[in-house]
Amino acid sequence: MTQKLCRRLAQTLMRHAARIMPAREKNWGEAMQNELQVIEDDQVALRWAFGCVIAGFTERMSALLQTWYGRSGLACLIALLAVREFFAPLLIFAYRMQYLGLAHFLGLRTEGDDYRRLIPVMDATPSWLPVLWVAAGLLYLIALWRMLRRTGGSTAPFFLGFALELVGIWAVQSVQAATGVVVTPNPIVRAAGVALTLAAGLLLWWATRKRTLAAN
Amino acid sequence: MVLLKDPQAWQHGYALMKQTGLQSGTLYPLLVRLSDQSLLDAEWREADKPGKPPRHVYRLTPAGLAFAREQAVPASKKIGALSGAKA
Repeated sequence: MTQKLCRRLAQTLMRHAARIMPAREKNWGEAMQNELQVIEDDQVALRWAFGCVIAGFTERMSALLQTWYGRSGLACLIALLAVREFFAPLLIFAYRMQYLGLAHFLGLRTEGDDYRRLIPVMDATPSWLPVLWVAAGLLYLIALWRMLRRTGGSTAPFFLGFALELVGIWAVQSVQAATGVVVTPNPIVRAAGVALTLAAGLLLWWATRKRTLAAN
Repeated sequence: MVLLKDPQAWQHGYALMKQTGLQSGTLYPLLVRLSDQSLLDAEWREADKPGKPPRHVYRLTPAGLAFAREQAVPASKKIGALSGAKA
């Protein structure tokens, strides 16, 4: 990369970094931007600007997660994850207890719009698996409660719930292989579900982490 | 610790980056935190060279100085204890 291009890219990144800084920290954005002018080496300037974009994003994210709407959005996302964990146990319960109206209603929310497609899977599901899902859902709710109460320690139950969810996903694979019925045929949807949970966990950690100061 | 070396001296962000080895993406959020907690003074200074924009300079406040010293003491004690154990 030519030196001129490096410098121009650094300046563009720097302008972006200054723009994404939260309003109350605009002077910090300006400070980072002005510092770029004294860095003579273009490669170093580019690294500096790239770091500043990360700093700007970090500050913006932290500010967003402290607002009521940021926290509410995250709370809704975690609540949604908990509801998702309760869905399959409730459907299996409704089917096994012959609450067919409820099973039909829940089946409309599954791929194929019919719970009867899933009967082989529900019959083959070991009874510990719904317990595992309920436990994962409860752990998400505990994490949510702790986040809303600001009592701390909300990431541990969340990631424990996530670990149970992963065990559940692994267990379902063997049930599906045995029955030949795939609950969610689209692999992108399955991957997106895991990615969403992981993203929620990272946001939760970010929102509730202690702001420690380095010893450097 | 870098700011503790010469507590009265004002330091620029770029100089701090070079001395600490931290990248700007790590350094600035830290400076913001320190400033938010009133542990760091920050002010604008005219640039040394004409035509350059003003620069932000930093130094520890008395509270920041006390905090940094408090953090430094256990570290040196630990090193002392370790070297004592080796001897």
